[in-house]
Amino acid sequence: MEHHASGLAVLLTWMFGLARHPWGTFAHGVPLSILERYDHLLISSLAALVTVGLALAVRFRLARIPGPFQQTMEYLLSFVRTLVSDNVAHDPDRYMPLIGTLGFFVLLNNLFGLVPGLGSGTANWNVTLGCALVVFLYYNFHGMRVHGIGSYLGHFAGPVWFLWILMWPLEVLGLFSRILSHSLRLFGNIAGEHVVSAIFFTLVPLVVPVPLMIMGLFFGLIQTFVFIMLATIYVSGAVAHEH
Amino acid sequence: MKKFLTTAFLFTLAVAAFAQGAPVVQKSLFEGQFLAHIALAIAAAGCGMAQGKAVAAACEGIARNPQAAGNIRTTMIIGLALIEALVIYVLVAAFAVH
Repeated sequence: MEHHASGLAVLLTWMFGLARHPWGTFAHGVPLSILERYDHLLISSLAALVTVGLALAVRFRLARIPGPFQQTMEYLLSFVRTLVSDNVAHDPDRYMPLIGTLGFFVLLNNLFGLVPGLGSGTANWNVTLGCALVVFLYYNFHGMRVHGIGSYLGHFAGPVWFLWILMWPLEVLGLFSRILSHSLRLFGNIAGEHVVSAIFFTLVPLVVPVPLMIMGLFFGLIQTFVFIMLATIYVSGAVAHEH
Repeated sequence: MKKFLTTAFLFTLAVAAFAQGAPVVQKSLFEGQFLAHIALAIAAAGCGMAQGKAVAAACEGIARNPQAAGNIRTTMIIGLALIEALVIYVLVAAFAVH
């Protein structure tokens, strides 16, 4: 695949005077500095910093009569809270911090792709795979915490006991393939959107890419919603009690 | 249909034999990028039909009971994302071929 370093990485390379050298066959052997090569890490660190910054800014300026900024953040957080409490029956507030943080991180990463000079961190599979792995470990941990390790692993055997030899391997395979589907969905959507925008931009550089970029804004929001929604559904499936 | 498939199969064989016979640098027509593009087109066609059915059913549901619009919309978006994911897998495979 082609590799386009973001303007921020190029600017930082120029400011710090970093050395450029080829990285094997990556990007057809074009010389890149370390920031340009690991551009997705730069952008996603920036997204993480902005997420922490927003949270701290609203935390240290909590007012009884909220201003516009606090109201926006309250709206977003109450949105996430409704999402989690609609799906998880027992103790939803315990799972809200991770899901909300993940939502902010993914949303900022998606939307950075529309800012000139930045790129999307989530347009690289490594970033989305990291998020999906965190979610995977998180819901398995909570499933084992709630049900105990034995009965959590046992519930993959299904309701009919003599079918365990068929059900258990399939269910466990499905569990692991969730990591792939969860991460590839986000990555493919964002990367595909960028490729389409880039192709239209090379064909007609004026006006025509604008509707596509608006679509990109919309898709970034929808994919963030789908990502945290699926994380919530996985968590609720892992901690649900069967009545 | 059978005739068409037979022709396509023979054509594939012919292309493969041609590619084997001469020491060419270029890959055969039925390898790599070309195949990825065809696969993406097939996946997009199936996804289009499936999403059309999903959206039609959701519209019908909202028209019959406008008060349930919020819930139907959320469920529809989740369903559309899950359908779309299948095309996205093919797209990722196409990226991998490039």
